[in-house]
Amino acid sequence: MSYDKILEVKDLVVEFKTDRGIVKAVNGVNFDVFKGKTIGIVGESGSGKSVTALAIMGLIPNPPGRIASGQILFNGKSLVNMEASEMRKIRGNKIAMIFQEPMTSLNPVFTIGNQIEEVIELHQPHLSNIERQAKAVDMLRLVGIPSPEKRVNEYPHQLSGGMRQRVMIAIALSCEPDVLIADEPTTALDVTIQAQILELMKKLQKELGMGIILITHDLGVVAETCDSVSVMYCGQIVESADVETLFNHPTHPYTKGLMDSIPSFDSTSGHKKERLQTIEGMVPSLFNLPNGCNFQDRCSKVTESCRGMKGDPVLKPSKGEGHFVACFNPLS
Amino acid sequence: MNLYLYIFRRLLYVIPVLFGVCLVIFVLFNLVAPDPAYTLLGKHATIQQINELHHELGMDKPFIVQYLDTVKTAFTFDFGYSWASKQNIWDMIKAGAGPSLSITGPLYILSSLLSISLALLVAYFRGKFIDKFVLVLSIVGLSIPSLAIILFGQWFFAYKLGWFEISGYENGFPNFIPYVILPIILYVFIFFGGDTRFYRAVILDEAYQDYVRTARSKGLSEYKVMFKHVLKNSMIPILTNLIIQIPSLILGLLLAETFFSIPGLGAMVVKAINNSDFPVIKAMTILSAFGFILFNVLTDVLYTVVDPRMKLK
Repeated sequence: MSYDKILEVKDLVVEFKTDRGIVKAVNGVNFDVFKGKTIGIVGESGSGKSVTALAIMGLIPNPPGRIASGQILFNGKSLVNMEASEMRKIRGNKIAMIFQEPMTSLNPVFTIGNQIEEVIELHQPHLSNIERQAKAVDMLRLVGIPSPEKRVNEYPHQLSGGMRQRVMIAIALSCEPDVLIADEPTTALDVTIQAQILELMKKLQKELGMGIILITHDLGVVAETCDSVSVMYCGQIVESADVETLFNHPTHPYTKGLMDSIPSFDSTSGHKKERLQTIEGMVPSLFNLPNGCNFQDRCSKVTESCRGMKGDPVLKPSKGEGHFVACFNPLS
Repeated sequence: MNLYLYIFRRLLYVIPVLFGVCLVIFVLFNLVAPDPAYTLLGKHATIQQINELHHELGMDKPFIVQYLDTVKTAFTFDFGYSWASKQNIWDMIKAGAGPSLSITGPLYILSSLLSISLALLVAYFRGKFIDKFVLVLSIVGLSIPSLAIILFGQWFFAYKLGWFEISGYENGFPNFIPYVILPIILYVFIFFGGDTRFYRAVILDEAYQDYVRTARSKGLSEYKVMFKHVLKNSMIPILTNLIIQIPSLILGLLLAETFFSIPGLGAMVVKAINNSDFPVIKAMTILSAFGFILFNVLTDVLYTVVDPRMKLK
């Protein structure tokens, strides 16, 4: 059902010019976002998740960054090289984003009502002042903020982190976007609040039918909320599949490593208390990527052929439908 | 917290501060400065003349009494008479305030408007040509001593080109204009470098905050992002810098007034220092201390207007 596909990212390459040369923060990324579905993008810090998100929003700081090649198609229309004024009509309206830091993402000197109304005023100028104010209150109610009529006149510092993230969600959803990009929306929050926020996003997705791109490093969050997952490493997607396939049959050693590093509290399975598994080493510097597979120095299954000169491994279909993996020596 | 109560309480701080200011003035004049009697009577004064003058000026009283006299002056604003010209000091201040303000008033408005709008502009175009151009210009302005700028301006614009009066002053509204234009222009240039650098740094500090990214992600234009979101958050340091300059406006420009022969308060202070005219210096020091305290309170009150996180305590 191709009409369900609202956002397509094709061979996206994002480069940053630095003093030490050009760095490819995102290097050939492909994924699709479907209406009413959530795609998770998982990876360690510096794997290019956030840059991918900013590229979709058209917010890559330029200079030093730029989209070097590839396509981002929104409802079939290319967002790359779109006129700035055209892009502003989509940003915040059709494609909205929430960020990792609820504590600092809201402007401290404006009331939250003002900040919600601002985006409504921008994209729905036909609404009157009163309608707009009413809508801001409605949005606060929608995201579960108690006594929204009162809260609407409060400033961000009067709200807790979880409440602020709800306000961010209210801002992002107030124009009923087709795509919501959530960049680590729960990382800075308490675990209990995390669950509430994820629950809220799921609920609102059902009501509004938007596609969500959920960026996270937390596989637990992915398991809870996503329909499909792409695992990123060094600016590339190394494995993508639907959630069940990925969790049941991780094929890339990196994906497997990520899963093994989730602490387990399963006391019934008879396992003795084991040391937490980690992935040895660090993400290689983007300035100095190895020949062959980028994961070779940390991989437990590395072979001579992985270190060869034949370039990066490409995504190839693996067992199961829609399961792709980029590995010279995948797990079976 | 009641605003008036807050202001009242803050103004109470004036009392200990004035005591301190008086102590500093007193110590400086009695222990560091030369005996004013020698300056006033000249080289050939007799011991008797000096003693008489000391008695007349109250300098033969015990130190503690002299100090308390100074404190009394500070609280009553009764500054007495100048030792040098025998004029009432309040009359001197009234006479000098007009000429000083005719320069510092327009200068303050022009240079603040120029540096803040320029800072917003270069912060908007950060890293681009215009930013670098203004950077170079402001560093040039910062590096040249103001004395050199004044002398060059007088020589080039007033003497060589004959566009302005070289120096002098006439009282009354339209009459003073030809005399103040050149000093104003030169001082706009002298202040421009430092102020623009300061405001640019303040604005850029805000320009990379997370809420700016949020504002952009809403689809706001860059203009709105800078002038609404960034500017309002930069207001605290900007306000502080703006308001704290006001008391010095009243003090006048020491150097400019001397060089342009403008009979303002700045020139009056310079003359008083040269003549060891203790009461005049005392009066101006006390007044400016008072002004700084007053405008500090005003700054604090204004903070609460621009930043909802601020609460008066």
